[in-house]
Amino acid sequence: MGQQTGLLPQVREVSPVAGLRRRRLGFLPVLAQSVSATAPTAVMATVPVLVLARAGPLALPVVAAAIAVVLLVVHCVTQFSRRMAAVGGLYSYVAKGLGPVPALITGLAAILGYAAVAMSSLLAVGVYLSAFAGRLGLSGAHRQWQVGVIVVAAGALAGTLMVRGIRVSSLVTLVVELVSVVLITVVLGALLVVAPAHLRISAVPATVDASSVALGGVLALAGFIGFESASTLGAEAARPLQAVSRAVRWTPAVTGVLFALAAVAEVGTLALEPPSAAYSSVPLIDLAELNRMGALVPLLDFGIAASFLACTIASMNALVRVVFCMSREGVLPPVLGRTHRRFHTPHYAVLAMTALVVLAPVLLLASGTAPNEALTTLLISSAYGYLGSYVAVCVAAPCFLYRIGEWSTRTLLAGGTATVVLLAAAWAAVDGTPWRLTAPVVASGLILVAGVLWILLLRLLAPGRLREIGLYDEATASDLLWLPGRGREGRRP
Amino acid sequence: MTAGWPRSAAKRPQGAVSSALEILAMIARCGPGVTAREIATRLGLPPATAYRLINHLVGEEYLVRMPDLRGFAIGRRAEQLLSPVAAPLVPLVAREVIAGLRAQVRFAVHVVRYTPTALRPVDTDPDHPLGPDQRIARYLHAAAAGKLLLADADRWHELLPPGPLKRLTAGTLTGAGELAADLARVRAEQVAYQEGELRPEVACMAVPIRSTTGALAAGIVLSGPCERAPALRRHLDQARSCAERLAPLLT
Repeated sequence: MGQQTGLLPQVREVSPVAGLRRRRLGFLPVLAQSVSATAPTAVMATVPVLVLARAGPLALPVVAAAIAVVLLVVHCVTQFSRRMAAVGGLYSYVAKGLGPVPALITGLAAILGYAAVAMSSLLAVGVYLSAFAGRLGLSGAHRQWQVGVIVVAAGALAGTLMVRGIRVSSLVTLVVELVSVVLITVVLGALLVVAPAHLRISAVPATVDASSVALGGVLALAGFIGFESASTLGAEAARPLQAVSRAVRWTPAVTGVLFALAAVAEVGTLALEPPSAAYSSVPLIDLAELNRMGALVPLLDFGIAASFLACTIASMNALVRVVFCMSREGVLPPVLGRTHRRFHTPHYAVLAMTALVVLAPVLLLASGTAPNEALTTLLISSAYGYLGSYVAVCVAAPCFLYRIGEWSTRTLLAGGTATVVLLAAAWAAVDGTPWRLTAPVVASGLILVAGVLWILLLRLLAPGRLREIGLYDEATASDLLWLPGRGREGRRP
Repeated sequence: MTAGWPRSAAKRPQGAVSSALEILAMIARCGPGVTAREIATRLGLPPATAYRLINHLVGEEYLVRMPDLRGFAIGRRAEQLLSPVAAPLVPLVAREVIAGLRAQVRFAVHVVRYTPTALRPVDTDPDHPLGPDQRIARYLHAAAAGKLLLADADRWHELLPPGPLKRLTAGTLTGAGELAADLARVRAEQVAYQEGELRPEVACMAVPIRSTTGALAAGIVLSGPCERAPALRRHLDQARSCAERLAPLLT
């Protein structure tokens, strides 16, 4: 506990997250954090066609429904972000809405989501850069080995940027993301110009069943996940309650516009192509090759790799802050809650998480798993993590408003609808695919079980620590209006 | 009082402004900890409207949500509205001490008072008026008295207007790095200088007057032409001992 003031016993003198560079980050880096975490370019290159292949004639309504669900989740997240400057993101929010145990489970889900997406993005940087080198004729025979080296190098770069500070790393991700969006827009534009005759929307599969429509919906939803990650910058953002909420609201809009642009170009050109392109891992690359524009493919590889690098950094920034928050609460070892004297970043947490995020893909590669297979496994695991934390925050929002006496029926409806739709879509998607008891399900399950054991252990051995859960960058004495002569401490010479 | 408000009043922009000011006044009257529901009930506002306005004011940092997440208090930003307007008094005994220093040195002697975000000249040298444009209070980065305030603030960037620092003369420090280095020196030596940074040809030296808890309460500013700056700096000890005598009178 921080030192408390004499004036108002419940107001601390020192913020519980002191050590971070507080209240200094402008709005643009905050928005960049959220947008980069959604990896918009990678989404543009893959998701529209994948959705079309699953949902067929229902693709448009399915995407609209996914966007509606995202907006409901945004409503729930902003109920919290307008009221508390959190460092732990959804984890801290759920703590205030539902209490410590559901919060810890949400925290685990969020950690799984952020970590797995960071791992898969890092791996994707390796895969696409190595493909880029291959297409330029620079690559050697040992592709697996090459991917591993790029993963380690990109991980080291990401870690260094994160230690240097959130401002530097956010601005780098912003620039990288812009380059990537420009590259992919050039390719999409070229596709539209070269293949104007193909511009008509065709239904790839003529008939579809409910579960593949649901899977299409989950895939469309997956295009937006990460939009909430600005909620981990509550301490560092200037005017955090405004900036974080705005970033969370604007990110789906930015991603949605890019998504729509890509969908128009890809769906139009896909009409006359063989259906194989609809099932490949990066349909846009196949489309470019089929339209005899192979020369543009290296650009695409590079652009997608750049977007994934930005996504790695953004997801890790969020991951590190959740871990930092848990450490300050006493749930994780205190060393992870220390901050760098000069850069004011949680450098030990950065170091630990970078090691984790680099090691996992390297081990997967070393065990002989094909990069694309490892990528899918990690991405599906992360989707479970994200969906779990979204469901939790949608349940928590109305409870939170009730607890603080600002009840809103609108939030109850939004949260309730989103919860039901998310659970139903996830269930239907799992039901119709051979995912049952696949690696991601087993891995997510194991992590959940380990987490529950850890929570039980904490309850038995250190029940006091559970009470600290839900720590956020609350108002300190210096945020309140100065009252002359009532014991405000100044800086001593 | 306001209980019979038409329900739609807060939806018009003018209505929203009035309601926002009413909310600020209500929280100032009730003291820290009043809840959103209490505010809505007392002002007769629809709860959803009241919550929206309150959350907007909290986002703008005019209000602060208390750590229990239910109650509210007036935020530090609202201070900019209030304290520069309220006139601080300088007791007669303090005026005599200041006059004593004026008699000893051949420089202008001014005394300023500080709030956490602003400064106000409260006793200016009758023989050397400060000038009508209040530069000393407006350009904290260029004035010696302003640098004392910035050096003392935890987040000094917030006290300056957004955007690049204004260049008032050729000597004004306009780089953030330069200014940060100067403020670090001020913090270490507990005295601020400027030579031709605020107005060409004018040099100043400012020393802090602190309360027993160490809070910056006021400052003594000596000023004169730039060519006499070395002589100005030699009066540091005299200014400091005067500051020590003023401390119990001004805090």
